[in-house]
Amino acid sequence: MKTISKILAVGCWLLAIGSSAQAQSDSAKIITSSRMIGIGGTHILDTYLSAEHFKGVGISFLATVERKRPHRRWSTLMEHEANLSLVHDRANSKKELEGVYNFYFGKLYNWSLLDDRLTLQAGGVANATLGFIYNTSNGNNPAQARAHLNIMPTAVAAYRFTLFNKPMLVRYEVNLPLAGVMFSPNYGQSYYEIFNRGNYDHNVVLTSFVNAPEWRQMLTIDANLKGSWALRIGYLGNYQQYKVNNLKQHVYTHRFLIGFTRRFSLTPRSL
Amino acid sequence: MKKILLLLTSAILLLASCVDEEERPDTPMGNFEALWQIVDERYCFFDYKQHEYGLDWQAVYQKYKVRVNEKMTEMQLFEVLCDMLSELRDGHVNLSSSYDYGRYWAWQEAFPKNFSDSLSRIYMGTDYKISSGMRYRVLDDNIGYIRYESFLNPIGEGNLDDVLAYLALCQGIIIDIRNNGGGDLTYAEMLAARFVNEKTLVGYMQHKTGKGHNDFSALEPQYLEPSSKLRWHKPVCVLTNRSVYSAANEFATMMKALPQVKIVGDRTGGGSGMPMSSSLPNGWSVRFSACPMYDKDKQQTEFGIEPDVKVGQTDEDYAKGLDTIIEAARKLLAE
Repeated sequence: MKTISKILAVGCWLLAIGSSAQAQSDSAKIITSSRMIGIGGTHILDTYLSAEHFKGVGISFLATVERKRPHRRWSTLMEHEANLSLVHDRANSKKELEGVYNFYFGKLYNWSLLDDRLTLQAGGVANATLGFIYNTSNGNNPAQARAHLNIMPTAVAAYRFTLFNKPMLVRYEVNLPLAGVMFSPNYGQSYYEIFNRGNYDHNVVLTSFVNAPEWRQMLTIDANLKGSWALRIGYLGNYQQYKVNNLKQHVYTHRFLIGFTRRFSLTPRSL
Repeated sequence: MKKILLLLTSAILLLASCVDEEERPDTPMGNFEALWQIVDERYCFFDYKQHEYGLDWQAVYQKYKVRVNEKMTEMQLFEVLCDMLSELRDGHVNLSSSYDYGRYWAWQEAFPKNFSDSLSRIYMGTDYKISSGMRYRVLDDNIGYIRYESFLNPIGEGNLDDVLAYLALCQGIIIDIRNNGGGDLTYAEMLAARFVNEKTLVGYMQHKTGKGHNDFSALEPQYLEPSSKLRWHKPVCVLTNRSVYSAANEFATMMKALPQVKIVGDRTGGGSGMPMSSSLPNGWSVRFSACPMYDKDKQQTEFGIEPDVKVGQTDEDYAKGLDTIIEAARKLLAE
């Protein structure tokens, strides 16, 4: 337990440094930047690799940056999410290692309500997913590549309040599926055929909310620490799932997050 | 407002829909059903084997289901499941537990070995050379001899350059792949590419596109591209026996398509389905053939390919310390 506490403390310190460095590269905008690490459960099904479900634990790193110019309705949201999980089957006999990087970039329209205490945002983000699932037991088809470009309608609600004389902010974000394009081997197609022989067969697949009903939600609470700094804790659920080429895959990640967020304004320096 | 509510309801229903697969219970019957279904949906030779020897996978289900009961031990279940899989007569179909490896090896065990370690030592001597996965030397009659006993052993282009350069003055070479049970297909292709001067059709390949027994992609032609490095133009004999399987069977198939190459020895063991794997509720691994490969005439090679010159090891030659198959190849290359 002590070791985990130390790792978290060092991680938080690094996140704080990252947030500070980010701040210096932007200008003339209100910037909300956060760095978080998370730990939690992962559920994986990939029928290309195994008919069995795999469950285990994973860690995540999440960096978010939101930029908005004063008096403008539109803001920019950018998120980097990296996950690494080790999961096992119910017999605890087989293991799978999963790693993925998700990048989200989007524009959100803002409404301020209740004397600016409540902010509602709606818009869309483009999501790029790149990752792998590696089955440590399979000799012949041990790995599955994951690549997906996706447009996701997004909504955010943020509410400011005071608790014990501390400014607090609770924020909820949800990203929903719309349409995209992804890579997938065909049902019984080997990677040897694709990469050694160049025998392509429906390996680039159009996705929609029907065959790829993936979605993601994040609930965070910020507690102001000092100045523009705040401690952020929260939950991130990313539910990626596809049903293409008669193959099924789902990777559900649940992460409890902790990190720092900083909200500040940068004014352009006049010469 | 009604439209918005309808959209929201639809969205919630959509999010509630998970992409999931039913899990069989971890019981003897659950594992039996899971294994039968995995093979039923993903195995690639049902149609061919029904035609060859009357395989009926539905009848197999009925035949073995009655042998499964909830009181049986793990070992008893393992035996029943292996018996069921042996109906497929496929060396690429295996069931793995922590205490045994279920297999069907009749394609090699039911036939003469046609290879002797003792004779191999006589021919190789002690001063042979080793280049990664290959052992090689020049025989007395100026025939080059390469022994490649497993495509699991890696080779590189540099190894092939060195071996072929060393044997360059030989009037022909023997590539002995007897007992080569396969491995990495890319090594087989890398070696075969040294014996073609132009892009050559050597076979076809396809894969399953769905769960039906006949859901397959179109046959994709497989070409052998000539190596840009040192290539061999003189005659070649490839030595085979029943233990030549999988990637080695594919190597023999590719080489048989080349005019200056003769396959000498016994029929190969086969194994033309590129395998994939899955697992059962109790954690056992199952391997199965998933992507069938064919020869250049679109014929199956799952049960092996016939040699151009069929030769078997004789007791008389063995007593004299002679490998009948190597001697037959030497005669062919000397002609």
